[in-house]
Amino acid sequence: MKFRSEREQLAEALGLASRIASGRVGALPALSGVRLQVKGDVLHLTSTDNDMTLQATLPVGGDRDGVSLISAKLLNDIVRSLPEGKITLEATAESLAVKSGRSQFTVPTYNALDFPNVTPSAGAPFSVPAGEFGEALRQVVRAASGDQMRIALTGVLLTGEEGSLRLVATDSYRLAVRDVTSIVIAASTKVLIPSRALSEVQRLLSGATEAAISLDDNSVTFDVGGTKLTTRILTNEYPNYKNLLSGTYPNAITTGRDALLDALRRARILAKDQGPVRLAMTGNGLKLTAGTKDNDEFEEDLDGVYSGTDITIAFNSDYLAAGIDAIPTDDVIIKTIDPARPAVITASGDTDSEYLYLLMPQRI
Amino acid sequence: MIARCSVKYAGRLESRLDEATRLIMVKADGCVAIHADGGAYKPLNWMNAPNVLTETEREWVVTNPKGETLTITLHEVLLDTSHELGEDPGLSKDGVEAHLQELLAALPDAIEDGLTLIRREHPTAIGPVDLLCRDREGRTVAIEVKRRGEIDGVEQLARYLEYLSKDSSLGEVRGIFVAQVIKPQAKTLATTRGLACVEVDYDTLRGRKPDELTLF
Repeated sequence: MKFRSEREQLAEALGLASRIASGRVGALPALSGVRLQVKGDVLHLTSTDNDMTLQATLPVGGDRDGVSLISAKLLNDIVRSLPEGKITLEATAESLAVKSGRSQFTVPTYNALDFPNVTPSAGAPFSVPAGEFGEALRQVVRAASGDQMRIALTGVLLTGEEGSLRLVATDSYRLAVRDVTSIVIAASTKVLIPSRALSEVQRLLSGATEAAISLDDNSVTFDVGGTKLTTRILTNEYPNYKNLLSGTYPNAITTGRDALLDALRRARILAKDQGPVRLAMTGNGLKLTAGTKDNDEFEEDLDGVYSGTDITIAFNSDYLAAGIDAIPTDDVIIKTIDPARPAVITASGDTDSEYLYLLMPQRI
Repeated sequence: MIARCSVKYAGRLESRLDEATRLIMVKADGCVAIHADGGAYKPLNWMNAPNVLTETEREWVVTNPKGETLTITLHEVLLDTSHELGEDPGLSKDGVEAHLQELLAALPDAIEDGLTLIRREHPTAIGPVDLLCRDREGRTVAIEVKRRGEIDGVEQLARYLEYLSKDSSLGEVRGIFVAQVIKPQAKTLATTRGLACVEVDYDTLRGRKPDELTLF
């Protein structure tokens, strides 16, 4: 195998591949590798950690067809260290030479036969607008759990709801739900996709106009401009989140999103160790406090239009900031019932029915 | 005692420590250990209790009931001191099985979504089952909790399951072997016996507070 490529293009593809390849060089070192295959003037890059697989293609100057398997991280580091310009990669049976100008690396390769067979999802693809789907992922993926002991909560539920796409994520402290009414999807669709994979999809979608999604019983593939990311589907049972969507909220405050985010950034200096930030909502507006009177205290008043009975409610400051940040409009609405039941954060205006962020309070 | 000494052992075999400065410990129970200035716990040579220590000015001879002898020749005594240490409270390990079991009893869904606790230390004639739970489908689940998952723990759970299967009031009983780390051999054996294996992170469990308000 031998080919020439521009450093910038190759570095971009390898950066993605090295994030997908397994970071653990354990029983299967091949999983930490990126498989490079040259066919004519096209380089096919594949990396996998057995749960998630990336397949990308890159136009190159192909000199000799062939296959090589090399540590994704090592090759990524090498290519990034080289100056702008043409890079030549040439594989022998047991090594890969990377040449640029007067620099040359020669590094050992893995046995390409050790690399697992990877296939994209066999389902029929349907297309989605990249911008809208990417924004929905931005709003929802943040609420998924990182707790590997509750695997179901590490996933994002992709489901059909009244004929359109709904994304749901929760870590049991907060729940994010986004309906994308412009994406039509069968009501029977219901898959749980690892949030880690969707974070990568979100990156791929940046700058793209369209993406295709294919689903089968075991896996889902996202195809963004020919780059395919396939991930297994989680089979764990997802909690019944719909019960939480039907609450009525007697109290609501509408306040400026950016001003609230700025105040939260200040409050979080004292809301240490994910400590709570307290929100006092009255007819006079919104007062944020954090810290304790015995030690240190933060306090800031914000304008707001409030309806309901006066209430003071405390939230994990990070989770609250994440919810406010997900709102795309200038104003946010925070709706509450009482200090021990979930509050809802939505956008103000016409789009408020498409996204909601349900947040469990902390005990004061 | 800290002394420049040489040591000879005579018994099943013969060994010798040439002259050097060493720490010689004579414990209250009679054990004698000779340490170099390195290594965490293992002496260069030692004699377990019971034994008899005979002292002369230049030589200690430790003899055990089998007739084995440890002869310590003292060339120069640098420190000779004696302290009563009293009764030791024992080693308290963070993360012992009991605490892990206690945490999992409070948070059974950390083992499997939808799991609820029926009873901790469920008594049986062959010993208590660590956790007896019910799964989402209403089946009884016997759980054995270990700090380190090894083959003997799997065998233990298999015996409990065999016993519990005779109790018709429990219905179908399945088993889950839970540990912080489960050895590959133990996983293989568990699979063969039809038991599930779950590894749990003790620190994460400790970080979860049962009284936190949650949506689910």
